[in-house]
Amino acid sequence: MVIKNEIIDVLKTIPDPEMPISIFDLGLIERVELHDAEVQVSLLPTFIGCLALPSIAKEIKEKVGVMQGVQSVEVVFINDPPWNTDRITDDGRASLAAHGIAVPDGTSCGCISTQDEYEFRTSAIPCPWCQSSETTMTSPFGPTRCKSIHFCNACRQPFERMKKV
Amino acid sequence: MVNLLLSVADDKLFLGHCNSDWTGLAPILEADIAFSSLAQDDIAHASALYELIGTITGATPDQIAFGRTSSEYLCSDIVTTRDEFNWASAIARQFFCNHFDYVRLKRLGDATWVPLASLSKRLLAEQAIHIDHVNSWVRHLGKGNDDSATRMQEALDASAPLASMMFEEPDGLDVLRTEGVLTHQDDIFQVWLQPIQSAVQEAGLTVKVQQITDGTMGGRTGHHNEDFTLALSELQEVFSQDPAATW
Repeated sequence: MVIKNEIIDVLKTIPDPEMPISIFDLGLIERVELHDAEVQVSLLPTFIGCLALPSIAKEIKEKVGVMQGVQSVEVVFINDPPWNTDRITDDGRASLAAHGIAVPDGTSCGCISTQDEYEFRTSAIPCPWCQSSETTMTSPFGPTRCKSIHFCNACRQPFERMKKV
Repeated sequence: MVNLLLSVADDKLFLGHCNSDWTGLAPILEADIAFSSLAQDDIAHASALYELIGTITGATPDQIAFGRTSSEYLCSDIVTTRDEFNWASAIARQFFCNHFDYVRLKRLGDATWVPLASLSKRLLAEQAIHIDHVNSWVRHLGKGNDDSATRMQEALDASAPLASMMFEEPDGLDVLRTEGVLTHQDDIFQVWLQPIQSAVQEAGLTVKVQQITDGTMGGRTGHHNEDFTLALSELQEVFSQDPAATW
């Protein structure tokens, strides 16, 4: 009979399709439930419009589905609790930093910013390459839904940052 | 409840649909990526809301999104107003609509129906990013040069009458209030207008939006204009040929 920890070990091997991090380290997995040989995995999407969700679900079904003792796998996406960057593990943060992706702490207040607050919030974000705070945001919308694009004026390198939600 | 959710979701579906016209055509690369991302977000938000509606009606998000007749769509016509590829018009439309979506989602986050409240809270964090972005564009154009400021002002003035129509209520909202599902008593128009005014002020521009009080009928009760009809036929092009088509 398959045990829950074995399933989690398999989930740890599934990479996010868009970032150098596993879906486990990204904090997507909220629950793994086991009823005899039927598995249900509940995931939290980073952003509602993330295009990677179907391929993540597919890979979970394939990899967990072939485990001995598993008859069926269901993957569901839930919004409660909402995903946020605090769910990213230390290993995950290290891997993202090594690839030039900064990770903010905490959750968004969901507030609208004034011009001053906006400028404050989008500048001086520590560069993941050289740690300088001499940075500016190039665009709040980057290559994936969950990241913004920044530029470091000290090391002259672009970098990405996970958005705070 | 279905009418309320349709009004929010249909706004997002059509705004996203129209914004996606800018993919490849926005004035700078970052703006291009941003508008495509905004469109992607809005259509995904609509889809999540349709899914919630499906838990009441049993329909799939695709059936709800594509399978209705014109008068069954409850979006306000501002979302389908043609911008004629005038960037300021697109920003003005985005500005008024994003702020309205934000206020609505914030209120729905307090709704007593838990699945709606939790989804709305989740969407609100993303909506705040949209607002910060569109506000920065309004400032950018307002403070750019005389030409950009004039164009932004003209676009705000032209969109203002359509913006007031967003506040027309879909049928049944009073029932939700009486039943206590919607808890806010204050005037949503004023709550919406305040941050609009501050953002426009920061940009050195002005905005005059009249509150409708005469019971004018528009999109929220299924009375749509020609721009909407055109957008709808575009949206339904594939579905009308093959309702079961998939990617």
